[in-house]
Amino acid sequence: MQATLNALVQKAAAEFATIQARPEFEAAKARYVGPNGELTALMKQMGSVPKEQRPVVGKLINECKVHIQELLDAAVDRIAAGELKAQLGPAVDPTLPSPDAGPGTYHPLTLVREEMCRILRKVGFAVADGPEVETEFYCFDALCTPADHPARDAQDTFYFPETARFGNVEKRVPEEKYLLRTHTSSVQIRTMLKGPPPIRIVSPGRVYRRDTTDATHSANFHQLECLYVDRNVTVRDLKALLDYIFASLLGKDTKTRFRPHYFGYTEPSFEVDLSAQHLPKVKKEWIEIGGCGMVDPAVFSAVGYDPEVWTGYAFGMGLERLAMLLYGIDDIRYFYQNDLRFLKQFA
Amino acid sequence: MKISLNWLKDYVRLDASVDEICRAITFLGFEVEQVIRTGAPELKQVVVGEVLVRDKHPNADKLSVCQVDIGPAGGVKTIVCGAQNYIVGDRVPVALAGAVLPGNFTIKQSKIRGQLSDGMMCSARELGVAEDASGLLILTDRPALGTPINAVLPPGDVVFDIEITPNRPDCLSHLGIARELAAWFKVELVYPQENFHGDTGAQSRPELLQSVRVDAPEDCPLYSAHIVTGIKVGPSPAWMQQRLTAVGLRPINNIVDIGNYVMLEYGQPMHAFDARKLAGSQIIVRRAADGEKIVTLDGKERALNSRMLVIADAAKPVVIAGIMGSENSGVGDDTTDLVLEVAYFKRKSIRWTSRRLALSSDSSYRYERGIDPHTALEAGNRAIDLLVEHAGGKVVGPAYIVGGDVPWQREIVVTHGFICEKLGFDIAEADMEAAFESLELGITRKEPTPTRGTAWTVNIPSWRDDLDRPIDLVEEVLRLHGTDRIPAAVVSAPGLALEDDPVVLFNRRVTDYLVGHDFHECTTYTLRPGRELTSWVSQTAAAELALANPFVDDQSHLRPTLVMGLLDVLKLNQARGVAVSHLCEIGRVFIERNGQNLECAAVAFVIADDAERKWLKRGAADFYTVKHHVFALAAAGGIDLARQPLVPVTGSFCGWQEGHCAAAGEMAHGWTARFGLMNLAMVKALGIEGKVYAGIFAILPEQLAGGLVRRKYADFSLFPTALRDLALVVDQATPSDTVRKKLAGLARAAAGGKFDVECVEPFDVYQGEGLPAGKKSLAYSLVFRASNRTLTDEEVNAAMQKVQDELAKTTDYAIRK
Repeated sequence: MQATLNALVQKAAAEFATIQARPEFEAAKARYVGPNGELTALMKQMGSVPKEQRPVVGKLINECKVHIQELLDAAVDRIAAGELKAQLGPAVDPTLPSPDAGPGTYHPLTLVREEMCRILRKVGFAVADGPEVETEFYCFDALCTPADHPARDAQDTFYFPETARFGNVEKRVPEEKYLLRTHTSSVQIRTMLKGPPPIRIVSPGRVYRRDTTDATHSANFHQLECLYVDRNVTVRDLKALLDYIFASLLGKDTKTRFRPHYFGYTEPSFEVDLSAQHLPKVKKEWIEIGGCGMVDPAVFSAVGYDPEVWTGYAFGMGLERLAMLLYGIDDIRYFYQNDLRFLKQFA
Repeated sequence: MKISLNWLKDYVRLDASVDEICRAITFLGFEVEQVIRTGAPELKQVVVGEVLVRDKHPNADKLSVCQVDIGPAGGVKTIVCGAQNYIVGDRVPVALAGAVLPGNFTIKQSKIRGQLSDGMMCSARELGVAEDASGLLILTDRPALGTPINAVLPPGDVVFDIEITPNRPDCLSHLGIARELAAWFKVELVYPQENFHGDTGAQSRPELLQSVRVDAPEDCPLYSAHIVTGIKVGPSPAWMQQRLTAVGLRPINNIVDIGNYVMLEYGQPMHAFDARKLAGSQIIVRRAADGEKIVTLDGKERALNSRMLVIADAAKPVVIAGIMGSENSGVGDDTTDLVLEVAYFKRKSIRWTSRRLALSSDSSYRYERGIDPHTALEAGNRAIDLLVEHAGGKVVGPAYIVGGDVPWQREIVVTHGFICEKLGFDIAEADMEAAFESLELGITRKEPTPTRGTAWTVNIPSWRDDLDRPIDLVEEVLRLHGTDRIPAAVVSAPGLALEDDPVVLFNRRVTDYLVGHDFHECTTYTLRPGRELTSWVSQTAAAELALANPFVDDQSHLRPTLVMGLLDVLKLNQARGVAVSHLCEIGRVFIERNGQNLECAAVAFVIADDAERKWLKRGAADFYTVKHHVFALAAAGGIDLARQPLVPVTGSFCGWQEGHCAAAGEMAHGWTARFGLMNLAMVKALGIEGKVYAGIFAILPEQLAGGLVRRKYADFSLFPTALRDLALVVDQATPSDTVRKKLAGLARAAAGGKFDVECVEPFDVYQGEGLPAGKKSLAYSLVFRASNRTLTDEEVNAAMQKVQDELAKTTDYAIRK
């Protein structure tokens, strides 16, 4: 009996070793342990084994059964592994490029704008927005720009015909004209008219000037302005904000300075210069980056804030100019051409 | 404006270096755009010499050894020279040992190739007088030997080109800038001495000027006319010519030059008439008649209108007031008697006319910004002095003065406390007082206040019309204190709980989405050419979007869609051989609806055939790719497009390919979405290779303001699903969603509320062989699930049977076996 069983195990081991696929395996399995299998047949012979030999024979058969089961398990594992391997195909060449387009890129103006907004959010400025088509009131009158001021001239500002109608930009008086805003200061006016102080907003956005397009001028460009209105806001606070902004943006070795200047809607007014040795564009020691000042009391009056109570400051700058400075770009038109070789440099 | 340093020194003592003066001007609030050095700098030990002998240098081919006579005091010097442009007998500048030339170049006695040289003969460049370095500066006037070179060369000067802010017309003059610098450097300002004070008592000469009449006093509050006789027209004195030249004016003759000189000195424009040319010996300041013509000095004929102010004689306009004179009324070489006009014209009038005629001059520039009416007569007197002195003139009769009675009285009361509060730091009272006084802002009264220090009553001079309120004086104090001395501070940021604007949040969401899906964000111009709009919107809409005053033809209309710009970007990149496929832009568009333009927040993207050859093929983008993205973008704007009816985009002006695109919203509820294939013919005509798919979503900003609705959680079943498929044969034109909705409705009815129809979705679309003509097969997968048990086959089968029975009864859809 033992010899028969050993032979059976050996035969099974040899047979199972060559099996590659599941149907073959199932057939082989049936030949040994199926209802008509060889091992099953041997087990059926147990009845004819003398009683005293039964424990010994039983043990032998059982061992054989375990052995065959192990062989079966090994075979099925091998087949399963083979099946998985078949799913794989040859190994990849990790150095081949992905055929998919991408990755996507943010426009450099978006990157600079969002960075400025993050810096300003940290000190409590919320991002405000307003229409690009404006009326004379929001763009000029409320900012104390006299009716015959050159900035209002059709030479410098884009106007719409008197018949033009903009459904979601309301005129304050019927005779005022629609125009393309020349600065984002109109958003300041809208924000102040919407609610009482204190106010702390940053308004980035697209603005328009009737200008020849060249390396430094563009018919539309982007500005970013800050407005803070509260009690007891001082010139020193304004300087502190500018110092903070540019140190955050350009590093601690950045310096800013104010030069007295004139804007119709701030008093006193300053131009802001910055100095940052590491910037490729800052060859001179000081480079002009924006304008700022204390909100003129007349502006507060125009929006119905009491100028005796409220004080504030405003700061504005061109985003293209800042981006050009940061990245060392020397032609403003690149921002609007969107050559992918340009766009992919800033991601 | 160009300001000469030498000229400034007439009024203010300036010992500071040029750099310090530049810094002063800058921190006083005027931008120095350029510093120009003219004439010769001060040169010691440089004298006039004459070349007596010129021998070839024994050891060098290109050098000569010269004997140069520098006059009795210096004798004859030996000088080695490399220049070639001179001959024996020429007089040239000679720098002797000890001379320091520009660039800090010290001259010493030295040996050059073995030959002793006592100094150097110089070129114009070496002396710093001109750029010419081609050879020695030959002094053709042959000045006396030994003369110091500064006595021969034009004097050196430094000219500052300064940008004057519009609030400071008083600084469009040398006196104005001198006043500011005197305040900065704390030195005295000395006004020019005046001899003439209005009238010499000489007899009047009515035959030269009979009358002056001002018909438009509202535009001309002051007009004065002086008569000066016996004029000899000739060149103005050299010093005056040098100054005018230095600041960029061409000297003409003594009369014109004196007018310009006084204008640049006081900021007061003036005009000189040849008395003989005034018809009827009359001056009338009046509005022009509509259509009246004048030929201005620049030789151009200009048509005037009744809003324009002119100076006329009895017959014709002779000057466009404050702007420019006519060709034949001015001073000529033979003028002997002149009428000098010194007037005050209103800014508005001059500005309007100047803009309207597109004609400006140094005079109109000053009038437009506002001159000081109270300086006008003083400046006139100064001009008379100069005419008498340098043109041999004699004043006759009293001047005609019309108007001029505009009173000036302005005082501002300001406290020390107020100024410090606005500044946020302290400046001593004494320093503030000094600042006021130095700017000629006289303090007329001082009073202590209980809490805010001294209250000053400050008298504002007539040339400082820009100072009107206490806050204006804060700036004056700060300017003189120095804006570079504002102390540092930390930003104080008391919390203001404000959220970013909904449009900003929307823009961020869609930009992040698209960039995250491999799109390159672009920025294109808002203004587009009108002819292009007709591919996108109706004629009426295009007309509504037009600007009144475009600057160039191809930027004349607001963009109704961002896709136009993105197509440009595709084209540009393709043309430059740059592989391009996924582009997007986020920005404003302007959509016409019912005769009104609506400004919308918008997002658009394009996907072009990627022409680049790839080692591994990917499926091309199609309609359903862009549909997917547009749905996601609309969701970012709070719109669930799955719940919105989609309609085909049609119309002859349509940039979209008919039958391959769809739209939703169409601004009926404040938003619109479009997506699909760009019109093939249009894309081809634009010169773009391959197919372009695109998607847009635009929404009114106010629509975004609502914020997102907080959804309520719905419980979901943990029991298994039961799946069934059903294929239906329908008309080809029947939209799949119509069938789906019908099927879903029937399934729900069949379930009868006993279990849920979780989803009904198409999984196969087929048309072609095996189906009748004009039909297609749509196969749907239906997913059923109960909330409280595992569904049995029997109940699901029964429901499916009901669905099929109902389909047979209520539709012409055939079940495909």
